[in-house]
Amino acid sequence: MEGIGYKILGALLTTLLAFTVGMFYAGFRRKIIARIQNRVGPPVYQNFLDVLKLLSKKTSVNHGIMQHLAPLWLITMSVSTLMFIPVLKDGLFFTNLNFSGDLIFLLYIMVFGPLGMALGAGQTGNPNSAIGVSRGLTQMVGFEIPWIMAIVALMIQYKTTSVTGLLDIQSQNGTWMMFSSPLAFIAALLAMPGMFRYAPFDIVGAPAELASGPISEFGGKYLSTMMTSGSIFAFVKLTLYVDLFMGGASNLIELVIKTFALYMYPVLWGAVSPRFRTEQAVRYFWGWPLFFGFAALIYAAF
Amino acid sequence: MSSLVILILIIAGFALLSYFGHSINKTAGNIAVFAAAVLIPLYWFTRVDFSETVSFTISGFQMELGYNMYGKLFSLIVMILSPLALIYALGYMKDSKRTGTFYFSFLFSILGMTGILMSRDFISLFIFWEIMTWSSYLLVIFLGKDVEKTGIRYMVFSALGAYAMFMAIVIIHRNTGSMMLNDYFNAFGNFSTGTKFLTGILLMFGFALKSAVMPVHVWAPGAYSNTPMAYTSVFSGALSKMGVYGLGFVVINLFAHANLHFAGTILAWLGAVTAVLATFSAIFQDDAKKLLAYSSIAQLGYIVTGIGIGTELSIFAGLYLAVLHAAFKGVLFMAAGAVERQAGSTDMTEVTGLIRKMPLTFFASLVAIIALAGVPPLGGFVGKWMLYESLINNGNFLMVIMIFLSSTAAFLYSYKFLFGLFLGQEEPEFENVKEASPLMTIPMLLLSVFLMITGSFPGIVFKYIAEGMTDLGFHDVNWQMSVLTNAWGDSVNLQHVTLSIGVVFVVFLIFLTWKGYKKTYYVSTKDISSSGEVIKPEDNMTYSTDFYKPFERVLHPILKRKIEKYYDEFGEGIGALFDFMRRIYTGNGQTYAFYVIVFLVILLVFSKNIFGY
Repeated sequence: MEGIGYKILGALLTTLLAFTVGMFYAGFRRKIIARIQNRVGPPVYQNFLDVLKLLSKKTSVNHGIMQHLAPLWLITMSVSTLMFIPVLKDGLFFTNLNFSGDLIFLLYIMVFGPLGMALGAGQTGNPNSAIGVSRGLTQMVGFEIPWIMAIVALMIQYKTTSVTGLLDIQSQNGTWMMFSSPLAFIAALLAMPGMFRYAPFDIVGAPAELASGPISEFGGKYLSTMMTSGSIFAFVKLTLYVDLFMGGASNLIELVIKTFALYMYPVLWGAVSPRFRTEQAVRYFWGWPLFFGFAALIYAAF
Repeated sequence: MSSLVILILIIAGFALLSYFGHSINKTAGNIAVFAAAVLIPLYWFTRVDFSETVSFTISGFQMELGYNMYGKLFSLIVMILSPLALIYALGYMKDSKRTGTFYFSFLFSILGMTGILMSRDFISLFIFWEIMTWSSYLLVIFLGKDVEKTGIRYMVFSALGAYAMFMAIVIIHRNTGSMMLNDYFNAFGNFSTGTKFLTGILLMFGFALKSAVMPVHVWAPGAYSNTPMAYTSVFSGALSKMGVYGLGFVVINLFAHANLHFAGTILAWLGAVTAVLATFSAIFQDDAKKLLAYSSIAQLGYIVTGIGIGTELSIFAGLYLAVLHAAFKGVLFMAAGAVERQAGSTDMTEVTGLIRKMPLTFFASLVAIIALAGVPPLGGFVGKWMLYESLINNGNFLMVIMIFLSSTAAFLYSYKFLFGLFLGQEEPEFENVKEASPLMTIPMLLLSVFLMITGSFPGIVFKYIAEGMTDLGFHDVNWQMSVLTNAWGDSVNLQHVTLSIGVVFVVFLIFLTWKGYKKTYYVSTKDISSSGEVIKPEDNMTYSTDFYKPFERVLHPILKRKIEKYYDEFGEGIGALFDFMRRIYTGNGQTYAFYVIVFLVILLVFSKNIFGY
């Protein structure tokens, strides 16, 4: 485990893993939604083709430096977050920087990307982008509150704020936190679709209303970077949920099974849902999820 | 002569010099101001002896000046921020009239703050407090805008705070026979419960008022946004911190040591409520200055919460946030001022797309906003992290949620500030806007460099905070240059964070820029995908009116009520009361004589109950 070479190799492997898994999940999602809608759907590896195709495209115009940097904030955020999240319980390669940050830090670094992206989208001057950003930030205030309540409940109950600490507690107790703190799990689960921005919470992109919103002025390399970042981030979020509530994973197969099972929940919910309006989305998050969040906090504190 | 007295005299001298300099001509005055901005901090850093005390007696009251480490921490804010703001003011006030008065009041408010921080007794504290209040009042009404409303509001509330403080001082003197702060702190434990509460709460009221805690915050939005922006950076960055300074020693020296923790908890709750409500108000402001004013109130809410909780980490977080807030809010008010000067307005529904015209101002604001939002890897994150951890360690989970809500909602106004002024469509109206003068941009950039350094090495600030906290009774406060640790032993290694973010950023920057960015050419913001519609140069497509309408709809039930309304009603009530009083005070001498006799009779009858003999 010593040596900077190992560290770098580990980081690269983790990133590659996250990218591959995230891309395949997105492919499965497209396939599943297609089947539900009685279509054949694209092949599962379609997203890889899309990224490759976009990489080969040339971009010939720009709107300025913030636009150029926008995908950069996103990918920096997703890869850096990945470095601080325990992928496996005790892997040789996937340790990275797990012990250098805690949950509060993770919460904060996770907004780094969307904010940078929002600035880039703002510079393009496209009104659809600005509307998308306004909706996205509003929605974020919505889902963050129950999600934070769930996390704080865990922290207070187990007296640690680090992800590795919570993982250790789960393996010591031999139970998952979705069973030992069910209320927090429900609150976190109810907040989850907002984080993934699939229907009914796809109000940021909203293809039919906003011409895909913030990303509407991006193409080529930029769009491919964003897709890459999106798939890595999906993996990050799923892994975090698995680490927090499902006892983590000791090998890659277990990880894939757990994350995929979790991933099906926002996907399937989205497949059969229309879109919320922004205020409806926030009201949803400040309804039952908030109730369970409070319940979890009270359960944890007393 | 003592270095402390010389410091006071130097500042007062420069105030007079700038005033008379400006009455001769502008250049002479500006040279005096520049000299003040350089020499005052130079003197403070090199010559002032922090172990020195000066005492003198005026009409039987002993007064004493002298720094302690806690005061030194706050002086550091004053001595770094104010000179930068003075230099900024040289650019900002270039074409204004009555600059002499401006700089005079400016320097006198610095004098007031410096004096407060070195006062060891209540008399000098009160005198310097009043100097500070009055000089800032002159600056609030300097532009002559809305004097009836904001000026009077500021004055009335400041006077209320001063009366409260004065009453506390009188009661303290009656009980201890001394005006020294330390005598009061030492004797506090022996006071009766009533006196403890009365003095503590009166002092707390006076200090909380200056740091704009709800419900006595109503003077702040107007005062902050009406003052010339060159001063507002000091007003919000340093002057409001005097309230925090006072709250710190009241809450820690008195309540924590006298086991009155719940008083601190109430203060912390007020801070949290302030943070949430002020953030919500900030989100819906269309004027960038108002937005920043509300945001200041919210940020001070965090600081007050940290101080109020009263654990080691929370006070540490509060003081750290106080230093950081001075830096980033300093930059933001300066940036708003630069935009106001260069583009003529700070209305975010009018001004758009200044990023390419004012890149340096944008960069400084971007850094400050990232620090304000508390996103790693800049300094603001450190403070947020410590505050959350201290609240979680302490089990204040509801307060954590409120602070979280407030800082998540803070992303909304953070983005709105940057988007409203600098991003969005570039309009022909603002085509000829130029970058602000170096006098204005350099102070902003210096402060933003500070914010970037504290992201990886907050230890440079921790050092002074740890020293300052020894005076609050926390010895051996643990701190490391770039590792944060909470009470449960969980930590964040900031160097790893910065390293990781930096490496990934650079790698992908090369990837994105390599063989691509140079070949692209710039197109205006009118050349966008618009579903086939051709946008003409004069069409303004920026979405900036009612930017957060959906959020407003969500919050409508909460925001319907405004605290101002209650104050107005209270004012009307007071009016009615005095109307009634006028019937008692008829102006007829005989009635007064009658009242006096009635009063004496009451005293005689109830003397046993009142005086005990």
